[in-house]
Amino acid sequence: MITMLYYISLPFLSILLIALQSTIADVIFSDRLVFELSLIVIIYAGFHLDLIKGVILASILGFVLDCFGGSVPGLFTFIYIVIFLCSFFISDWLDTEKIYVIAFFSFLCAFLKEIILILFYYLAFKIDLLMNTYFIIFVQALIIGLFAPLFFYLMSRAEVFFYGKKV
Amino acid sequence: MFFLRKYKTIIFIAALLVVALSMIFYNLKYGTDKSFLRKIVLETIAPVQKALSFSIASVKDDWSRYIFLVGIVDENKNLKKEIEELKAVLISYQESYQEAQRLRKLLSLSDDYKYQFISARVIGREQAALSRVILINKGSSDGLKTGMPVVAPPGLIGRLVDVSWHVSRVLLFIDENSNIDAIVQRNRTQGIISGAGSRGLIFKYISKTQDVKEGDVIVSAGMGGVFPKGMLIGQVIHVDKQDASLFLKINVAPFADFSKLEEILILSSDETKI
Repeated sequence: MITMLYYISLPFLSILLIALQSTIADVIFSDRLVFELSLIVIIYAGFHLDLIKGVILASILGFVLDCFGGSVPGLFTFIYIVIFLCSFFISDWLDTEKIYVIAFFSFLCAFLKEIILILFYYLAFKIDLLMNTYFIIFVQALIIGLFAPLFFYLMSRAEVFFYGKKV
Repeated sequence: MFFLRKYKTIIFIAALLVVALSMIFYNLKYGTDKSFLRKIVLETIAPVQKALSFSIASVKDDWSRYIFLVGIVDENKNLKKEIEELKAVLISYQESYQEAQRLRKLLSLSDDYKYQFISARVIGREQAALSRVILINKGSSDGLKTGMPVVAPPGLIGRLVDVSWHVSRVLLFIDENSNIDAIVQRNRTQGIISGAGSRGLIFKYISKTQDVKEGDVIVSAGMGGVFPKGMLIGQVIHVDKQDASLFLKINVAPFADFSKLEEILILSSDETKI
C-alpha cells in the first residue's frame, strides 16, 4: 500500500520540488545561480532507496525537469538516472553517514552533471560553454556540496520522526 | 523466460536509459519535443510555480514596504529633481517625435506589420545553469505562437520557443543559443547579437574598421521578419580590438534586467502588411 502511494505521489511531489527549487533560486540567487535540490534528492535516493524505487524517482524527476526547462528533452532524465546509479553502487563502498563523504560526493556529482551538459552542448551544437560558465559551475557544485549534508541530516530526522528509527 | 525473470531489474533500468537516449536523439533530429505529456507537465507546474512565486513576492513586497522605508525622504527629493529634468528632456523628444511623424508621412513610410501586444506574467524560471528560459502564464489559448517576439520595456528580451495551452517558455536573448540580427543605432553598423549568459550579450562579426564605441545603442535589424526593426536591445559597454582576430570583441549590456522580469509583453503579428 505504501509502495503504491509512493509511486502515485511521485509525479506530484517531483513537480512540487522542481517548482520549489526554481523559486528558491529565484529569490536567493536572483536567477544567477541554480540551486539543484533535485540532484541532492537523487543522491539521497541512491544512498537510501532500493534500485527500482530510486531509478523510477530519478526518471520522473529528470523528466519533469526536462519538461520544465531542458532545452533537449531526455537529457536530464538520462543524467539523473546515471547519477542515481552511480550513487547507488558507490554507497556500498563508502561510509554514507559521514558528512565529508556526503559533501564531497554531492560536489562531485553536481560537477559531473554540468560537465556532461557542457560536453553534450559541445558535441550536439558545437557551443563551447566552458569558457563562460566554469566559475558558475564550480560555485553551484560547491553550494550543492555544502547543502547536501544538511539535507541528509533533515531527512534522517524526518525518518526518525515518522518511523521511530532510521530507515 | 527464466532469463527475463532473473534480470528483470537490469532490463528495466536499461530500458529506461534507452528511452531517455531515444528521446535525446529524437529531439536532436526532429527538433524540440512538443508532446502531449510535456504540455501536461508544464500546465501542472504553472499553477504551483505561480502560487509559490506569488507568496514569496508578497513577503518581499511587505519587507521592502516596511523595512526599507529608511532614506525614503532623500530618495523622494532626488526623484522629484530627476522628474523635473526628465520633463524637460521629454518636451524636446516630443518635438522630435512630431517632426519624425511629419517626415514619415511626407515620405509615405509605414510599418511593415501590424503588431498587437499581449501582456503576460512571469511565473517561473528555468532550472538549468547553461540556459536562460522563463515561463509565462499565457499560451496558445491566448493567441500565442512559437517564435513570437517578447518585450519588457524598454526593449526586446527574447522569443517564444515552446507554447502550451496556458503556459509558454521564452528563450531570453542572454541564452547562449540565442542569435539575432542587430544594428548600431548611431551608424547602422550591422552584426549579430549573441547571448553570453550572466555576462549579458556579445555583438559579433563587426570588423575592426567599423566605428563602434562604448555607449552606442544596439537595436534590432528587423531581418527575417521575426523581430520588428528598431527595437532596443542593449548598450555597448566594452569594445576590444583583439590583435589575433579580424573582428572587434564587443560586450553589450541588455536594457532589461533579466533577473527582475515580472510582467512582459508578447508582440503578436497578424502577418498582414498595412
